[in-house]
Amino acid sequence: MSTRSLAAWSGAGLVIVLSTSNPVYRAVVLLCACNLLLARARGGPGPRLLLVGITVAALTSTAITLLLSHTGQQVLVRLPTAIPAIGGALTLEALAFGLATGLGIAAALLTVAPFTLISQPHELVDALPPALARTGAAVGAALNLIPGTVRGAAEVRDAQRMRGWRARHVVDWPAVAVPVVLTAIEGSLTLAEAMESRGYGAATRTHFAVEHWTAFDTLVALSALLAAAAFLLLTLTGQAPGWFPFPVLTAPPVSMPAVLCCAVLVLPSLRGGR
Amino acid sequence: MAMVAFAGLHYAYPETVVRVLDGLDLEIDAGLVLLTGSSGSGKSTLLRVCNGLIPHFHGGVIGGSARVLGHDVLRTPTREMARDVGFVFQDPELQAVYPTVERDAAFGLENLGVGRAEMLRRVADALERCGISHLRTRAVTTLSGGERQRLALAGVLAMRPRLLVLDEPFSQLDPEGSSALRQALVAAVASGTTALVAEHRHHAIGDRAGRWLRMQGGHIVELPPEPPPEVVAPARRSGQPPSELSWRLDRVNAGHAGVAVLHDLELAAGGGEVVALTGANGSGKSTLLRTIAGLLPPLAGRVERRPGRIAYLPQNPSALLHRATVRSEIEWTLRRTRSAGGPEAVLEQLGLSALADRDPRDLSSGQRQRAALAAVLAGDPPLLLLDEPTRGMDREARAALTAAVTRIAAMGGSAVVATHDQELAAAVATRVVELHDGAAREARAPLLVSP
Repeated sequence: MSTRSLAAWSGAGLVIVLSTSNPVYRAVVLLCACNLLLARARGGPGPRLLLVGITVAALTSTAITLLLSHTGQQVLVRLPTAIPAIGGALTLEALAFGLATGLGIAAALLTVAPFTLISQPHELVDALPPALARTGAAVGAALNLIPGTVRGAAEVRDAQRMRGWRARHVVDWPAVAVPVVLTAIEGSLTLAEAMESRGYGAATRTHFAVEHWTAFDTLVALSALLAAAAFLLLTLTGQAPGWFPFPVLTAPPVSMPAVLCCAVLVLPSLRGGR
Repeated sequence: MAMVAFAGLHYAYPETVVRVLDGLDLEIDAGLVLLTGSSGSGKSTLLRVCNGLIPHFHGGVIGGSARVLGHDVLRTPTREMARDVGFVFQDPELQAVYPTVERDAAFGLENLGVGRAEMLRRVADALERCGISHLRTRAVTTLSGGERQRLALAGVLAMRPRLLVLDEPFSQLDPEGSSALRQALVAAVASGTTALVAEHRHHAIGDRAGRWLRMQGGHIVELPPEPPPEVVAPARRSGQPPSELSWRLDRVNAGHAGVAVLHDLELAAGGGEVVALTGANGSGKSTLLRTIAGLLPPLAGRVERRPGRIAYLPQNPSALLHRATVRSEIEWTLRRTRSAGGPEAVLEQLGLSALADRDPRDLSSGQRQRAALAAVLAGDPPLLLLDEPTRGMDREARAALTAAVTRIAAMGGSAVVATHDQELAAAVATRVVELHDGAAREARAPLLVSP
């Protein structure tokens, strides 16, 4: 799949997730995004780590809402009020709201994930319009920071360990972090110099490889954008209402047309996201 | 008209007052020109003026006249200079933009807006000239350093430059990669391209150079070519009979993530011994060093070490520096390893006394390498483990390293040096161990190659 159709898909998913507070729609988008990510990954370690990270983020947000909000009518348990901040009633409503928030965070991160996972510096260089060529060199070089940093970190840590370094305290970390970051920045500057030296930005770029924008790309991009537009329309006209569990928990309202809009996002994973 | 014509050129980097180039005059007409000089003398700076990276990318204060192929460099941006000047950098791993070989070789042509049919023709031709046509569809990350450096050269040759500028292109390559790059470069020059090559490994290309130049005090000095290296008798070092066991591997299997690359290894060394560890990339040299160091637990078997500190020097050692001064860098090691003594001895040994209070990040790359050596070697550790220590190192740092290893061996310590560098092996090793197919075997002592 083309980087640009994938970007359109990510954008559409993000619009839906951020425009509603209804967990049902968020859940549908989340399932579509998960499906695509796993279809593209074919069991590599990258997405597994990412999924763990996103789950942790979502659960953390749930726990914070549950422990700190203290509103709602159906009390699950009462913590002694002597405990600062988290002391008081923990309610079913707060738990539900926390879960819905966590779901929103996870869905938002996951819709962007397939795009960021495939975006290597060169894909960005290709996707940018000529007017942004200069920015492209800078961004490409900055993106190079990330893999460079990961590669360098283990090596520097081991070498510092042999100089007697131990990770006992926060103040110990600069011994590893400073060299890793500085080395990565130097590497990025070199890459930017190399791009500049090879004439980046000198003329309107031509392309060695013909970009594979297929009918399927058109279908994915167009359907995602239309679905997002339709969903926004339904939300704004009140036909796909949001959801708020306070003061009393109720089931979220479900509008079938809105669910269908979200489900359109499953399209790219039907062909394995390739 | 001269290809390169610099007159009264002076330059200082931003926020500095030191003139790295100080009234420099230089004319280059054709052929292969070798640029020598110690690290920090301004070689890289001069090369970057040739395609306008200085002043356009780096900034700073520049004056005088700099014309390259008729362009006024001070007024022509680098991306325009790129049509006529090709630049190859030192680090083979930081130049590729695309993930596959032929696409990366086409990057420059895409930037110049060359049509697709012409592009395909020129890329194929450039890969052929660099001897890497067979790698056309390979992923760049699977290439060796020498292959990557030839790809970088192919990428600029495809743009049909009239002047090639190469900044220490051989310094990070093993002998095999070096000779393949040399061949490609010599062929490019034979077909009429002018080349300016900065290199501290003079013998890598010096015998083919028509002119030898030296950067000194911000000026260019013309040198007579050095004679080519000659091979002399094998270095015979008796080496004291091993007094005391330093380290021993007892039927060790070792590798990362549970996959053994070294099998059933029986290897040991005693005090006074310096083992040079050779073998192709991926043969497990680094794995063996990390196993001896205790950074990597063996998958099977036993590792014994004489108690005492181990000094471990990774590739690109200057990446270890993180303190505000060279002295505090050394003190940090001494303190963390609870070693006796102060920083003065090691500063003295590595010729760093005058630089002790400077920030290591402000030093030239060669000085930084020596500072990193000092940080690792402080406190006279009895066991040294060095992983490709001379990769990218300048002459002064190499000499300092050789002296330090010899000194520690003479004091009864021992060292293991993983290296492709024949010169280093010849200068310090008492034994050579070659890794191949997961096994180790003793090889004969290396030949000594005089400079």
